[in-house]
Amino acid sequence: MATLTDAAALTEGALSALIRDRDEPAWLAEERRAAFRTFEATPWPSARDENWRYTDLGRFSVAGLELAEGPADRTVSERIGMRMTDSDAEGILVHKNGETIRSIVEVAEKGVVFTDLRSAVRDHEELVREHLYTVVDAKAGKYHALNAAFWQNGTFVYVPRGVEVELPLGAFTTADRGGLSAGRTLLVVGENAKVTFLDEYTSEPFDERLFHGAATELVLGQGAKVRYVSLQNWGRNVAHMNRVAAKLGRDARLESLSVSVGADAARAEVDSAMEGPGSESEMLGLYFADRGQHYNQYTLQHHASHHAFSDVLFKGALRDASTAVYSGVIVVDEGAQKTDAYQTNRNLLLDAESEAVSIPQLEIGANDVRCSHGSTTGPVPEDQRFYLMSRGMRAEVAEHLLVTGFLYEVTSRVTLPKVAEYVGRVVQAKLGVPGVKEKL
Amino acid sequence: MADAPMEHPDAGKLTGMQHEKQYDFQLPESYFYKSEKGLNKRVIEKISYFKGEPQWMLDFRLRAFEVAEKKGPPKWGPDLSGLDFDDIYFYIRPNERQGTTNSWDEIPEEVRETYRRLGIPEAEQKVLAGVGAQYESEMVYHNLKEEWEKLGVVFLDTDTGLKEHPELFREHFATVVPPEDNYYAAVNSAVWSGGSFVYVPAGVDVDVPLQAYFLLNAENIGQFERTLIIVEEGAKAHYIEGCTAPTYNSDSFHSGVIEIIAKANSNVRYSTIQNWSHNVYNLVTQRAMVHDNASMGWLDGNLGSKVTMKYPSCYLVGNGAHGEVLSIAFAGDGQHQDAGAKVIHAAPNTTSSVVSKSISKGQGCSSYRGLVQIHEGATNAKSNVECDALLLDDTSRTNTYPYIEINEKSAHVGHEATVSKLNEEQIFYLMSRGLAEDEAMALIVRGFLEPVAKELPLEYAVELNRLIELEMEGSVG
Repeated sequence: MATLTDAAALTEGALSALIRDRDEPAWLAEERRAAFRTFEATPWPSARDENWRYTDLGRFSVAGLELAEGPADRTVSERIGMRMTDSDAEGILVHKNGETIRSIVEVAEKGVVFTDLRSAVRDHEELVREHLYTVVDAKAGKYHALNAAFWQNGTFVYVPRGVEVELPLGAFTTADRGGLSAGRTLLVVGENAKVTFLDEYTSEPFDERLFHGAATELVLGQGAKVRYVSLQNWGRNVAHMNRVAAKLGRDARLESLSVSVGADAARAEVDSAMEGPGSESEMLGLYFADRGQHYNQYTLQHHASHHAFSDVLFKGALRDASTAVYSGVIVVDEGAQKTDAYQTNRNLLLDAESEAVSIPQLEIGANDVRCSHGSTTGPVPEDQRFYLMSRGMRAEVAEHLLVTGFLYEVTSRVTLPKVAEYVGRVVQAKLGVPGVKEKL
Repeated sequence: MADAPMEHPDAGKLTGMQHEKQYDFQLPESYFYKSEKGLNKRVIEKISYFKGEPQWMLDFRLRAFEVAEKKGPPKWGPDLSGLDFDDIYFYIRPNERQGTTNSWDEIPEEVRETYRRLGIPEAEQKVLAGVGAQYESEMVYHNLKEEWEKLGVVFLDTDTGLKEHPELFREHFATVVPPEDNYYAAVNSAVWSGGSFVYVPAGVDVDVPLQAYFLLNAENIGQFERTLIIVEEGAKAHYIEGCTAPTYNSDSFHSGVIEIIAKANSNVRYSTIQNWSHNVYNLVTQRAMVHDNASMGWLDGNLGSKVTMKYPSCYLVGNGAHGEVLSIAFAGDGQHQDAGAKVIHAAPNTTSSVVSKSISKGQGCSSYRGLVQIHEGATNAKSNVECDALLLDDTSRTNTYPYIEINEKSAHVGHEATVSKLNEEQIFYLMSRGLAEDEAMALIVRGFLEPVAKELPLEYAVELNRLIELEMEGSVG
């Protein structure tokens, strides 16, 4: 296994240049410098790290990559254009190699802020300052420190108290050249406010290698309702790393979906902190790895407060010598009584060379709780395949149907029909179902 | 020899800590030789010299010591900071004569008294095929009933096993748990002393259990028994291990290594109910190699000790091999039971089942830590793991860390875990039928453990229930 080494591009000088170019306020510059110090002090993950022991670290290497300096071509690709139309999104941002190349930011509801993060630092400084780095900071790990110091741009959403945003907002992150890019999403949703946000990562394949590191911070006020989708469908030349972390206030509800279908290797961390009593977090995950892809997934359900609910369902299929790791933990703090927390991971192995690792964990410090986890791994059930074939289906058609059915448990719980439909289509395209193309 | 028996300055100091009555006694320390405190080459050479071992064993010990030095203690798991090697006697020899006797009469009076209080000689008469008894670092008693001896069954202490069956011993020793396996296995390999050596010839069905009883009497002692069990093709054996120690102010250390070789079509069971006092660090490596169509069952009960780290494992290396682990843990105040199971499926058509039941009370913490691994080519493997945890009050904790690694398409693997508290409705119902609250709680806890307890021989199930009742006493606050 490869070991990770420093990237020549990530120097203090490079950081100073980045800060200078942006003319950012002093507090942010200092945050970036502090994050850089943490970055320098944190060792790169090694195969001995619990989170990385099943992962070929070389696939997440940033050595030799230059910091992204904007795209080669600033036009919005046909692929993204189509997704923009298809997603029903009211507001849209397109980030390409660290630059925002399209902003459709008018939102009908009053007081809602939807803009790229750099503009937000300029125009809504107090809001950004109050919340940035409060959910994902540099201390979360080496890659998080890298992001905290070097993030280039991203998305900022603010929904004031009581406002319900009807149509989804979306950000599409894409690239057309290699290097190292870092993006951040900050979503601040006030008391009893409501919003749906799509974070999509997608690109046409190109020759050079790209590492994209993302950090997503979701701040849910009392009674806020948020639907958040992270859909990773990068080209095969990309390594992707994302932490989606949420802080939930009293009675807040988060429905999140993390989809991994693209990239060469991807790590997705989904972390919900139930800080307010009665808060609820539903965390869905879906992955389909083929042709040697590697997905490393981590969930954390942290019950810091009582009467909260959380439910993780991560399901995935693997084939063509692909590998996937799911590791999740439910942490119930002392005093977090009446917790309801569930965690399920199911893997479908479609060939003998693929490998699935599942580590569902519980750390329970309160006694009046209902907590359970389950994990299963197995092949497509032979009797089901046999039944479908006895009804006249060819073997591969039966398999397509059974894989789709297996993942349906997740897609059927996605309350955004357009997203569920698109994910279903991507899966079918990956399966090679005749006549289905990812692009419609 | 310059080392004459001497009175240890701290001998006889007992604390007032709550410890189970039947086991709450300690006899004056008397021993023939006590090593200096701490682990070093000199201590190891001395142990080997005392035992009159062949050179290869001394070389093995010294190599294992190097491995231990290089490895260092694990960085995961429970807090072991209270375990100070420099304050531990790694070897205490209770009497001058090396080797064991098969007559209780030849055992020094005070040692015999200890076992009498535990009821061992009585049980031997009634329900066991053979009994071994280890006191401090050495086995002092070993006896196998004649009918089994005639069939070629060997049941000796491990030191005698090495002397009397050198070839059989060397062929199998450390093949299941090499010193490189983990730090505590390396430490054990360097200083091992005592334990049982069991050999069951092909086709022999030893239908009554063999038992060994481990006792720590001295303070600050480390006990490192090494058990090697070889069960030949088509044979059957059940081995039971019991442990106890008095309560002291300072901590003792027990780190055994148990190696089992279950050859084709054999059936082996190994049952432990450890009830160490709450000042013992119990860090044990138990592993079985399970060959074609053989069946291996571990029953692991962890009630005592301060910290337990114990993950009985089955390496299913033969076609159709079956492995089973039943685990019970009870973590009372201040106890950390880090128990679990490891099952490696390395051959086709292998099956395994793990059932773990844990109870945490007061400031206790119990963890399930497990591994299920299906290797590529181990086709049609099936494995199921179930972990249930019961938390008795709002300060107790439980953790579950199952690792599931699957590299084979045809594998069927499932894992489930639940955490719950005592059901108030059930307690209310039982109390309405006239039971006191603590009786009701104890009854529910026994019901929770039932799936595991019913696998125990009757005498042990009764003993387990009694221990649970004692642990539950005073839990109504």
